[in-house]
Amino acid sequence: MNSSPVLSVKNLGVEVGTGAGARPVVSDVSFDLAPREIVGIIGASGSGKTVLARALVNWIDPPLRISSGSVEYKSQNILDLAGGRMRLLRREIAYVGANPMGALDPTLPVGRQIVEKLSAVVPGIDPSEARKRVIDLLGAVRIPSPRLRFDEYPSQFSGGMMQRALIVDALISNPAFLVADNVTQPLDVTVAAQVLRLMRELTERFDTAVVFVSSSLPTVKEAADQVLVLSEGRIVERNTPQRLIDAPQHPYTLQLISQIPKIWTSEAVAVPRTTSAAMPTISIRDATRTYRVRKRGTFAAHSEVRAVRNVTFDVMPGENFGVVGESGCGKSTLMRLLSRLEFPDSGSVICDGEDLSKLRGKTLLKFRRDFQLVLQDPFNSLPPRTSIGAILEDPLRVHGMRNAKEIRERVLAVMAEVELPANLYDELPLGLSAGQRQRVNVARAMVLEPKVLIMDETLSSLDQTEQFRLLALFEKLQAQHGLTYVFISHDLAMVRRVCNRVAVMYLGEVVEIAHNERLFFDPGHPYTKALLSAVPTLEERRYKPEECLLEGEPPSPIDLPPGCSFASRCPHAFDRCRAESPTLTARNHGELAACFLVETTGTRAAA
Amino acid sequence: MFIISFLVRRLAQGALIIFLVTLLIFTLLRVVPGDPVRLMAGGMAPEALIEQIAKEMGLRDPVLVQFGRYMSGVVRGDLGQSFVRPASGASTGGSSFGDATRGERADVLTLIGETLPMTLQLAFLAIVFAMLFSFLVGIPAGLSPGRWPDRVAFYVSSIFISLPGFWLGIVLALILSVKLGWLPAIGYKGFAYTILPAIVLAVELSPVLIRTLTGSISSAMTMPFIAVGRVRGLSQRRIIFAHALRNASVPLLNLLGIQISGLLGGVLVIEFIFDYPGLGLLTINAVLQRDFPLIQGIAIVTSAIFVLINIAVDLVATLIDPRLEY
Repeated sequence: MNSSPVLSVKNLGVEVGTGAGARPVVSDVSFDLAPREIVGIIGASGSGKTVLARALVNWIDPPLRISSGSVEYKSQNILDLAGGRMRLLRREIAYVGANPMGALDPTLPVGRQIVEKLSAVVPGIDPSEARKRVIDLLGAVRIPSPRLRFDEYPSQFSGGMMQRALIVDALISNPAFLVADNVTQPLDVTVAAQVLRLMRELTERFDTAVVFVSSSLPTVKEAADQVLVLSEGRIVERNTPQRLIDAPQHPYTLQLISQIPKIWTSEAVAVPRTTSAAMPTISIRDATRTYRVRKRGTFAAHSEVRAVRNVTFDVMPGENFGVVGESGCGKSTLMRLLSRLEFPDSGSVICDGEDLSKLRGKTLLKFRRDFQLVLQDPFNSLPPRTSIGAILEDPLRVHGMRNAKEIRERVLAVMAEVELPANLYDELPLGLSAGQRQRVNVARAMVLEPKVLIMDETLSSLDQTEQFRLLALFEKLQAQHGLTYVFISHDLAMVRRVCNRVAVMYLGEVVEIAHNERLFFDPGHPYTKALLSAVPTLEERRYKPEECLLEGEPPSPIDLPPGCSFASRCPHAFDRCRAESPTLTARNHGELAACFLVETTGTRAAA
Repeated sequence: MFIISFLVRRLAQGALIIFLVTLLIFTLLRVVPGDPVRLMAGGMAPEALIEQIAKEMGLRDPVLVQFGRYMSGVVRGDLGQSFVRPASGASTGGSSFGDATRGERADVLTLIGETLPMTLQLAFLAIVFAMLFSFLVGIPAGLSPGRWPDRVAFYVSSIFISLPGFWLGIVLALILSVKLGWLPAIGYKGFAYTILPAIVLAVELSPVLIRTLTGSISSAMTMPFIAVGRVRGLSQRRIIFAHALRNASVPLLNLLGIQISGLLGGVLVIEFIFDYPGLGLLTINAVLQRDFPLIQGIAIVTSAIFVLINIAVDLVATLIDPRLEY
């Protein structure tokens, strides 16, 4: 680092509010960014990362205020620059944020907006030249058919595509440095890994220095040359990523590292295998669900979105069954089928020996009582103007309990069970934290003493610490009540920790079902390997992203290609995969995978 | 392709809506008490003659038969003839027993054709005034919520919405035409006669437009792409005019569709006050005279206008925001 730095941050401080009530958010941050260097900044939520990232691009709006220090670029403090002069500097200072879907105007084509930016920071550029450059770069970030994509609207882009388009938007003016604030956070693991790899490639190609802000140490480790650890707005430690992980000095860094889930190392908890019981609690047989969507620009034509295709599996009593897959794979539709919010178009869902579509009246009410649902979003799943006691009383009344005193006692008992203080009974959910809200949600399900809880991404909005606590609670409840859990999740690390058996979904199909250990140590399907290779972890990976992870995103569930739906992204795909679709094939011990390679190894073993 | 399929679909829906409105109006008019023949022939006409005229006109047939006969005419562009108005102009009827034959009565279509352009001219001018004023007041208000332009917009729209149209019409006529002599007020002898009623209508329209515009601009300005746009290097002017206004215009357009439809009802009072020879004045007289064919014709034409306006509004809205599906 002998060349002069691109960016030099000196004693930077940002506070919120003014006068006596002012509270520091970022204090005394100093660092240099050398040309072509990638500096990682890591910290938990609330550590001031985002505010720091915005201060670096002079984007501090009231009530935030710069309280001290400077951000020097080309030996001038950009924080002092007036609007017009700062605007011209935007050509050299780029920013990509964590919310790709909100970053562009939804009513205008993506390409046109990137051209708009380019001509705003490079006045006088020829429009057709600008258009050509945008299309070139869209191709460089591996957006398929960039010429067509140029004229499409933000809503037609997936999250990963949009993040790539925004990277194009940031790099189009060839900036000197780029601030990337949590860019991979909203993306699915395989897509996040692709975007990360791409950013590294492009910044090398364009000689761009990067400040990479993230809450995930494994991600920063992949990306950065140097890591700064941010705690309560202060830099508490700085080092190269490897040294930071091997020998963390500050207790906060230690705590961050200890919270990162383990997958393959011995520290990972061993989840017991289930004994095969006589009758499954849930048995889903060849279920298919297709949605009809009207095609735009036609009179009566519909396209069919095949959300769930030929799904078959059993969940045994007392089991923790996991369903994993990336967004759009049909997890939530499956949840709707399991909870009888919808019926499958063909096939059946059988719970406790009864076909859900035949349930009426009393038997339906009984089913509702036994099978309860806990949802993902802790904020929208609770009525904001109903007290917590009333929220929890409601299911009891629906299911025929009338005695007010008994109801109250039952509710208080459940609140104690999920470790909610009794004095919240008459409170509104307004001031509760996400973790407490999820406890209310769990209590609302538990109050009816169900047999099965279906958890649809219940933990994904909570931070690591709170996740640990709720998982412990789930374990305790299971031990006390003999519950069966179905976890629907995209978080493989969480699934590794709690589920006995796991089904992996891809494009509406179950591609693999296996016991926990088998799935993580000896996956049968290439998609499972790809997922495993992209899990953010500090351990040495069993599956190398270079071998398992492929470019591209899942095809649309509307125009499914013939053959195996994973063939377009599979590193092992051969001719047969593109012609016919593999079915779930037994490996052994009731473990199934839908891949022709499993069959061939099977036949070879038999021969 | 999208536009064609959109128009075909929506126009087909629109035709159904107009048919149902016609059926409803037709039946209701025949169920309410009061015999139009009595009004036409005059109070002193003998009972037998009234029965004879009614039979000749088919008014004693079952309602559905009458409706079928009427619709077959409508499809051919014939809305029938007025019961009351002769082709020559002035309205007849009343107490005297005239022997006017039906051939001399005015075509409904002609009557509407004479008055509708006048009303459309008035409505159009009112909307232009209202939009100009709302943009001038509403955009600054939306850009600085809680500060003085916002408060000005709030007071202006509060005052405007509390002014009764008929009162304002009379007061403005008194000040601007009688006292100052700037604008003509009563009747119609040229374009200038439209201005005063249009101002009154615009005052009635603008409060809701201002409120909507203020609200949708201030919420558009809080969208993430506005803040990010600044960091991406877009100028403030581009952000406001190319992005914030564009996104704020969809709610405004939807409101405008409803307002224009409402406006055609609102002209009733204003046209009556200013004796403006438009559709509103025609409607009032048709109702007072129980002129069934005329009332029906006006109802069909206005419902067709409602339907067309809403199709146009939805089409423009989808062109602005491609996520909308109609």
